[in-house]
Amino acid sequence: MDTLTTYNYKVVRQFTVMTVVWGIVGMLVGVLIAAELVWPQINMDIPWLTFSRLRPLHTNAVIFAFGGSALFATSYYVVQRTCQTRLFSDKLAAFTFWGWTLVIVLAAVTLPMGITTSKEYAELEWPIDILITLVWVAYAIVFFGTIMKRRVKHIYVANWFYGAFILTVAVLHIVNSAAIPVSLFKSYSVYPGAIDAMVQWWYGHNAVGFFLTAGFLGMMYYFVPKQAGRPVYSYRLSVVHFWALISTYMWAGPHHLHYTALPDWAQSLGMVFSLILLAPSWGGMINGIMTLSGAWHKLRTDPILKFLIVSLSFYGMSTFEGPMMAIKTVNALSHYTDWTIGHVHSGALGWVAMVSIGSVYFLVPKLFGREQMYSVRLIDWHFWMSTIGVVLYIVAMWISGIMQGLMWRAVNDDGTLTYSFVESLEAMYPFYFVRFLGGALFLAGMLLMAYNVIKTVSGARPVNAPIPQTA
Amino acid sequence: MSDAKKPQSAVQTTGHAWDGDIQEFNNPLPNWWLWSFYATVVFAVVYWIFYPAWPVGGGYTTGIMNDITFVDSDGTEKTSHWNTRALLLKEMQEGKSATLSREYLEKVKDADYQTILGDAEMMAFTRSMAVGLFGDNCMPCHGAGGAGVIGLFPNLADDDWLWGGTVEDIEATITNGRYGFMPSFRETFDEQQLDDVASYVLSLSGHEVDDAAAARGKDIFQTQTGGCYYCHGTDGKGLKSQGSANLTDQIWTIADVPGAATLEDKKSLVRQVVVNGVQRTMPAWKDRLDETQIKLLTVYVHELGGGQ
Repeated sequence: MDTLTTYNYKVVRQFTVMTVVWGIVGMLVGVLIAAELVWPQINMDIPWLTFSRLRPLHTNAVIFAFGGSALFATSYYVVQRTCQTRLFSDKLAAFTFWGWTLVIVLAAVTLPMGITTSKEYAELEWPIDILITLVWVAYAIVFFGTIMKRRVKHIYVANWFYGAFILTVAVLHIVNSAAIPVSLFKSYSVYPGAIDAMVQWWYGHNAVGFFLTAGFLGMMYYFVPKQAGRPVYSYRLSVVHFWALISTYMWAGPHHLHYTALPDWAQSLGMVFSLILLAPSWGGMINGIMTLSGAWHKLRTDPILKFLIVSLSFYGMSTFEGPMMAIKTVNALSHYTDWTIGHVHSGALGWVAMVSIGSVYFLVPKLFGREQMYSVRLIDWHFWMSTIGVVLYIVAMWISGIMQGLMWRAVNDDGTLTYSFVESLEAMYPFYFVRFLGGALFLAGMLLMAYNVIKTVSGARPVNAPIPQTA
Repeated sequence: MSDAKKPQSAVQTTGHAWDGDIQEFNNPLPNWWLWSFYATVVFAVVYWIFYPAWPVGGGYTTGIMNDITFVDSDGTEKTSHWNTRALLLKEMQEGKSATLSREYLEKVKDADYQTILGDAEMMAFTRSMAVGLFGDNCMPCHGAGGAGVIGLFPNLADDDWLWGGTVEDIEATITNGRYGFMPSFRETFDEQQLDDVASYVLSLSGHEVDDAAAARGKDIFQTQTGGCYYCHGTDGKGLKSQGSANLTDQIWTIADVPGAATLEDKKSLVRQVVVNGVQRTMPAWKDRLDETQIKLLTVYVHELGGGQ
């Protein structure tokens, strides 16, 4: 096809398909380790299968492989469509796909082998970190290069969010991964002690803020108005909450280190900026959900829209919960308990996964020249399985987490502790099983999606849509 | 035409369109949203005034009207701006729970076992303090109620004691650990002898066995042939100094004899112990727990199974 008259859908297709594949892989590992917490013997005493090694594989696979592929796919699609121009460079775009895939494969090999920097969400060792940096620079060139050669005057709001996500993740990754290698598979962070912890959680929280929030808000700003067929609710709100969000998120990291060796002033700052973050986060939710005003009836019949709108509800819920948990006195109860795990998954499954799933269902038919997905009914099934799965997961972790926190701090009249640690462990047991069920249900929904995608794609000819020649 | 082209509200779009049909209304910011934003900012500013918050030069703003007076670890009284370290020190020095448990701990530390066992209040404290210590240190092997696991970890909740059930014995066990050892007789006895010894051992606890086999077994047990009596005693009641089991009661710690249905099964279980011997280690806790903690656990374990 002529590269001047069509959009580059090839790289979008590649990343879209891999979103489904990595989603299944990442969630499968998640379900496996959730099962290990209920039945520890199923790791069969094989080191590669132990919780400690598979847990970072799970988090890396769902955040960077599944979430990352969804972001690559949608940002490449959205930036072309809203700039009315082909990607800046097909070769660089192809490099980002194969480079990113290599990063994921390397992660899947090294993490189970126990090769890790032990920095959460940044476990990969220095050679892989360098590869990530190269891929990311190429990504930035392709994305911003495409913005530069756009054929419409204004830059659409989705691209602000994608742009902020790409720029910030570059900075976060490079600063937090700075390390001195001692061998091919071992390096030491350049930062000492509490500073290392602070840098790590500055990175960690902004991985949530920019990778898992800003990037996916970019996705939301394109696919919600598209699928709803309605204008975005408020341009003004999008400007205000964009700047408020990206200028506030950077400060919130210390709330991961409440009541630790981190200086009190840094903890205070982390806490209050987390509270200030509440309204800017909700701005995105309001703008997304209110876009539907005047078209609410579509929710009854359109399961893709259900995915998108329910994801925004989970986004609103977890961005309310987050600031509450950042308050020191609440954190004293919630920290180190399953409540945190529940909070993360209401964001990761409820928001990130569901908005991605909705977007993938939107994209697949368009990328493969079909009218719509093979089965809309199966999308509806998938929607309900996901929703019930997330709710089971979150509720189990709320109960278990708050119970843990209360049991750990319970004190008798004579000043002695009421419970030993192992008693709290026993009490968590049934909720670990419910969590496993919720996760398994969500995974089963993903398998349904894979079937639906295969049926839609098989026999279809990949298409590269023509670029409208009117600006 | 899609309904996007016909906005139903009076609000105008910005006039731009992307990818064909994406437009933006220009609704004003929702008031409730704006005011919650302002509210959090006001809260933040107030918080910054009263608590340590901003780095300035080499230091930081300490906040106002938040002094804490506490006794430092060197015993001097100090006053400082609000900080979590001072808060913790103060809590540990003056907090109700910390004060109470410290007083009780002092009392237990200074009291001898007879006094503790005879004092209802001290016993109540000991139980509630030790249940946590037991859960964190002993429970992984001996179980929540101290029932142990047959074949692996001794039951602490019965009145049968391998190494003695007085408080002194229990304290020695916890402090220094124990090594339970019975040699393997795999090479010593032939099949017939194994069967005979097992029969005799079961007869000691009142099982109906073949008299002739038991008699042959007794000969092995009580003479140099087997030498079992060295550790288990001529009466089969075991020796505290060896940690050897009493074979005359119905309590079994290695072979689950009461759990076996037939005499043959029981015999086979006893034979396994004779063939394999026993090697069990309980670690020493003197480097992990302090004297008072060991004292609390001693009383607790003594109480669990009816100490001697």
